[in-house]
Amino acid sequence: MNTNVTEKDGKYIVSLEGELDTAHALEVEQAMQPLHELSDKDITIDCTQLEYIASSGLRILLALLKSAKANGNKVVLSNLNDEIKDVFKMTGFIDLFEIK
Amino acid sequence: MKKTKISSDKIPQIAILITAAVLMLLISVIRQNYARKQIRNNLERNAEMELIIKAIDIRHSVEDVTLALRNRSWEFEQFLHYPDSLFAVTRRIVEENPNFAGCCIAMVPNYYPEKGPLFEPYTLRRGEVIETVQLASEEGHDYSKNPDFIIAAKNDTSFWSEPYQDENDPDVTLITYTFPLYDAYGDMAAVVGIDLNTEWLGKLLNSRHMFPSSYNLLLSGTNKLIYSPIGEIKHKDVNQIMGLINDSTAKRTVSASGRITIFSFIDWEDHAKGSVYYYTPNSIRPWSIAVINYDDEVYEPLIKMQWRNLLLTLAALLILAFIIQRSVRSLSKLQQANLEREHIESELNIARNIQMSMLPLSDTVAQRDDFNIAGLLEPAKMVGGDLYSYLIRDEKLFFCIGDVSGKGVPAALVMAVANSLFRSVSAHETNPARIMQALNEIGCQRNEQNMFVTFIIGVLDLPTGRLRYCNAGHEKPFVIGKEAKLLPAKPHLPLGVMDDMIYTAQETVLQPGESLFLYTDGLTEAKNESHELFGIKRIEKGLQDCITNESVTPEKLIQTMTNRVNGFVDGAEQSDDLTMLAIQYTPQEKPLVFRECLTLNNKVSEISKLNAFVQSATTTLNMEKGLANRIKLAVEEAATNVINYAYPNGIEGNIEITIEADESRIRFILTDSGAEFDPTGVSKADTTLSINERPIGGLGVFLVRNLMDSINYEHIKGKNILRMEKRYAGQIVKT
Repeated sequence: MNTNVTEKDGKYIVSLEGELDTAHALEVEQAMQPLHELSDKDITIDCTQLEYIASSGLRILLALLKSAKANGNKVVLSNLNDEIKDVFKMTGFIDLFEIK
Repeated sequence: MKKTKISSDKIPQIAILITAAVLMLLISVIRQNYARKQIRNNLERNAEMELIIKAIDIRHSVEDVTLALRNRSWEFEQFLHYPDSLFAVTRRIVEENPNFAGCCIAMVPNYYPEKGPLFEPYTLRRGEVIETVQLASEEGHDYSKNPDFIIAAKNDTSFWSEPYQDENDPDVTLITYTFPLYDAYGDMAAVVGIDLNTEWLGKLLNSRHMFPSSYNLLLSGTNKLIYSPIGEIKHKDVNQIMGLINDSTAKRTVSASGRITIFSFIDWEDHAKGSVYYYTPNSIRPWSIAVINYDDEVYEPLIKMQWRNLLLTLAALLILAFIIQRSVRSLSKLQQANLEREHIESELNIARNIQMSMLPLSDTVAQRDDFNIAGLLEPAKMVGGDLYSYLIRDEKLFFCIGDVSGKGVPAALVMAVANSLFRSVSAHETNPARIMQALNEIGCQRNEQNMFVTFIIGVLDLPTGRLRYCNAGHEKPFVIGKEAKLLPAKPHLPLGVMDDMIYTAQETVLQPGESLFLYTDGLTEAKNESHELFGIKRIEKGLQDCITNESVTPEKLIQTMTNRVNGFVDGAEQSDDLTMLAIQYTPQEKPLVFRECLTLNNKVSEISKLNAFVQSATTTLNMEKGLANRIKLAVEEAATNVINYAYPNGIEGNIEITIEADESRIRFILTDSGAEFDPTGVSKADTTLSINERPIGGLGVFLVRNLMDSINYEHIKGKNILRMEKRYAGQIVKT
């Protein structure tokens, strides 16, 4: 599981690669911690390489969304695969995030 | 202005009243006419009697006079020789008879040569004074030319003159009786005239009257009044009556003898109607008697009766109106009651339909092959207080049977509440004792009617056959295996009696093919005509016979029992609701094609191991990738829950994961020894909340439930056992 945070065109880009299961949740959460502290730009999460997400992964995304929103920033999810999109639909997360 | 409207439903009442009034009036008129006729007939008979009696009275009185005079003939003869003594004779006659106004002896002319051609000694009464004169000596009085004298002299007979007025007293009517007087040689010597005051006869005639205002008249042969009691009578219509008597056209003969005639008259002066009875009896011929009666007196009883009748009729009409009013009111009340009853009946029908629709539909469990179930509810009335219910949640069959105290609508209402409580509590509670506890606590609140419910709740875990049940004062069910036995069931108090009652669950394991038979006291207490109870022994016998006949499906059990109880009561009225519920446990054991176990530590890092384990199984079973991912997610979520929450912080524990698969289903069994936790009882996460409202976490169980076909939890021997099942269409990759 890889988490890369970059800055491009005035946005933070987070690319998630691999399977975001409970075992890897802590690692991803720590990788994203700076975004909570900075919280000065919109965030795009690139899910092109994300194969799987468990509810612990959803928790991380929701926590990020809450802190970004608190500072008036957007969180955009891009390139979700169908299975992950199904999980988002099932949990109602599809209505919370901006999905591209 | 206030208008009084007669409502249309009052019209028949009014019509009845009017008809009754018309009928009563008609009857009263007919009666009146009949009574009138009766009175008139009576009056005619009485008048005839009266007239005959009066005639006889008058005849006697007149005869007294004539006889007395005739008896004195010797005295006249004796004194004929002494002309001057005749004055004394006339005087004596007048003096002796107060009714005589005068007496004259008119001698045949030249009877006494010495007295001249005419000699007529005469005594007359002038009030109190009696005068005796020689009338013939008075100038111009030639009695020989008097018609009476001529008639008497010529015809040689006695007769009565027509009435005439007294010259001295116009109020006095006189009538003269004239008879011839003979001397010793038998030659006519004189004509004697006696003037009679008719008052004497009139008084006799009017000594008694038929009615107070009635009066009687005496008439001469030419119908002149001999006497009329003017002054005594109320009406002064004598002249009119005299005219009518003389006018023959209005008369009518009434009596059988034909001598009495009757005619009516109207007294124009007083506007009084009356009738005249006129009689010319032979005894006093040529005189006649008339009796005059006035209708107002004759028909007085009739008039009184008329008033009385009118009052009675009015009273009768009032009573009739009252009766009609009352009967119409009670009729309309009856109609209303009928309507209300129909209304209630139709509502009861609806209630019955609602109640029946509360019963679980057997097709909701039709696709289940691991149990069969059948129920019967037969209320004694339109609606009943018995209930049975069942539902499936998380591979468990929740069922109940109950009997509300009492019958009918109140019981049905309680039954409906108990039913819906059972269903709602069962949605998140698996322990039958706790479901019972919840029902009891709610049932005891505001139980002012002191209704109670005997109840059994059972929870059959379908994967294992583990049956947990709790009894609240209800009849013990039967377990039907190789034989029919009563299920040991601790009898707690019924629901609704004590709110702090502690209910405890009991448990057993149903073996494949075994059945449960539950019932209400409508079965055990069904009575036949001789008041015997069906009883538990007959139930046992019935069930036993089913085992012998190898027909233990729930439908057969209930059918057999229904036939038996119907045959037993044999037409006696069903006194209580009759309810039965039968369940047969028929788990389908399919051969496993895959089985592997894995034990994890309660660490999050172990999840990777788990995911690899699951992935390898789904790959082996050749599952499609999307399905494999969904299964992996569900198992991860379930395991994460256990890792995070089952054991206290810092305490190590294990999670055992078993994967089993037959050719169509894959099953994951997670076992841990941590704190008892039933994930199936967790309420569903709300996925519609906004970002701010949305809690972080709480999605685990929700995902498990949604990703798997079924989940099932049991806590057995200190272990949490969670089963998750998913249908798949894969096949094992042969390696």
